[in-house]
Amino acid sequence: MTVEVATLATAALVLLVLLLLLGGVAKFATAGTDAAPGGLSRLGPGVLVPERWRKPAMIFCAMVEVVLAAGLLFTRHPVPRWATIAFFSVATYVLWELRRRRPDVGCGCFGEASGSPVGLRSIGRAVALAGMAVFVTLVPVSGADLLSGFSSGLVIALGAGLALIAFLSPETEEAISRVRYRAPCEQRPAPAPKALSRLRSSVEWRSHQNLLVSGEPSDTWRELCWRFFVYPGRSTAGTEADVVFAVYLSGRRAAVRVAVVDAEGSGRTLRESIGVSAAR
Amino acid sequence: MGVERRSTLASAALGRSAVPPQAAVEERPVLSGVTGEILDISPHLVILENPDGVEERLVIAPWATAWHGQPAVPADLPIGAHVTIRARQSGRVAERLWGDITRVTGVITSLGTDRRDLTIELHCGPHRGKRTVVIPYGASGRIRVRHPQLEPGYLFDAIGTRMAGVTFAHLPATSQPAYRATAVPPPPPAYGGVQSRISGAASWSDAFDDGEAGAAYPMLERADSGCEDAGVSCTGLPYLALGSMLYVGNVCEGRASVLPIVACGCMAGRFCDRCVQCGTSPRGRIVELSPVSFVELGGDLTKGCFNARVGLG
Repeated sequence: MTVEVATLATAALVLLVLLLLLGGVAKFATAGTDAAPGGLSRLGPGVLVPERWRKPAMIFCAMVEVVLAAGLLFTRHPVPRWATIAFFSVATYVLWELRRRRPDVGCGCFGEASGSPVGLRSIGRAVALAGMAVFVTLVPVSGADLLSGFSSGLVIALGAGLALIAFLSPETEEAISRVRYRAPCEQRPAPAPKALSRLRSSVEWRSHQNLLVSGEPSDTWRELCWRFFVYPGRSTAGTEADVVFAVYLSGRRAAVRVAVVDAEGSGRTLRESIGVSAAR
Repeated sequence: MGVERRSTLASAALGRSAVPPQAAVEERPVLSGVTGEILDISPHLVILENPDGVEERLVIAPWATAWHGQPAVPADLPIGAHVTIRARQSGRVAERLWGDITRVTGVITSLGTDRRDLTIELHCGPHRGKRTVVIPYGASGRIRVRHPQLEPGYLFDAIGTRMAGVTFAHLPATSQPAYRATAVPPPPPAYGGVQSRISGAASWSDAFDDGEAGAAYPMLERADSGCEDAGVSCTGLPYLALGSMLYVGNVCEGRASVLPIVACGCMAGRFCDRCVQCGTSPRGRIVELSPVSFVELGGDLTKGCFNARVGLG
């Protein structure tokens, strides 16, 4: 029976350390980036303090979390454990107060990722974590027990705990929707070297390679989801020509198109073809 | 190789029609933009030398109005002034004249005072470089009420005159964005695909060659355009390139044309403002036009913007 309690306590410890570290790192990242102006004013307990203290408050909070995580992981001393109980109890109160006073702001628990307004789930998570902190205080386990007491029971307990935390985290939905609604290819930056290597491995490249005069593109540009490479070359008839490759910038086996254009072109210049200023 | 062939080559590679589709056939009378230096002006006729050095004569319509730092009578424009004209009847009849008009759009780098006037140094992007603008005492109230943060690091956008090498700001071109130039808000998340036409505000700039027709577009790849400040916008704009053909439509006037992208709109992308000329446009400056193109699309240079829709031509 004692073994099982220790296993549960170890799982609780792992969860606490994991969440404290994640929260700390995410807060550091948010405080470090010069995000949208007033970005911090939409996040977390920071809104309860004056504006110039918001960033220091967030950094201080992140530091406390990292120190607590280290204390829980490496020692069995009761001080970090009691401090963790205090931290999550205060967090519960602060979130409750935040929900009452500023229902529009996010909890900021994981920095920018926690932008949705504080709900009962965020508060429930803080309560659950405070409960886990009480548990690891009563059963003082540390990181050493994780290595020695590794068992299938621990994995199951850990999985159940993770499921509980995931259920109580509004950030999960945020993460899912960020993955689902990724910016379309037209709006994502795409490095040219990647498209070039895709081109070099394509069938179209091999079939037109003998037409190229030079191995270096004379011009390259990007339009919407296509990147174009122009190589000086010769047409099959032997006249000077430009070989244009177009590489699609999305997908693993991206499409490649090719055209051989007479270097002289059709003699039309851009200005004449559009008639924008034809009236002048 | 110049960027002019890019559109043709791209069309060939993708099997698009080589001739860009023309904007919807206009039923409204065609406007044309004319620029040049005034050689002689009378109440009914203006003679000017265009950027190619050719003399042009335009009849001034009886209803014509002019602007030279303030509303003026066309005949009062000084000889030698650089004038931009909105004309009808294939560019023969002038109906709106702007004398020595210029626009200063940039990031404030330093401030100073010259007696009662205010001088501002601006960084206007890699194309325009540094510019110094003088705000006359009489215009400072107007400018300040729309630019509450006259401090280094904030954006500035005003319309004025350029005379004898000195730029004077007379009218605020927009309400100053509340954020610093380095903190442009990110675009809203895109759901699903990209729309083929994007709405926003079109402004004008004098960073173009004299009399050139073209557009500056913010969303260019930095490596391709050689512009370190490109690729910033608070609107979800698709990436295009120098040389791409851009459809620009004026929503208020119902005019449209297809223009080549000739520069990067580094400064335009930093403005997340709205245009309120007719209704309120969605947020974000999506394109910056040359004065001639702006006038031909029915824009008023002193108003500074129009509600526009853009897309690949």
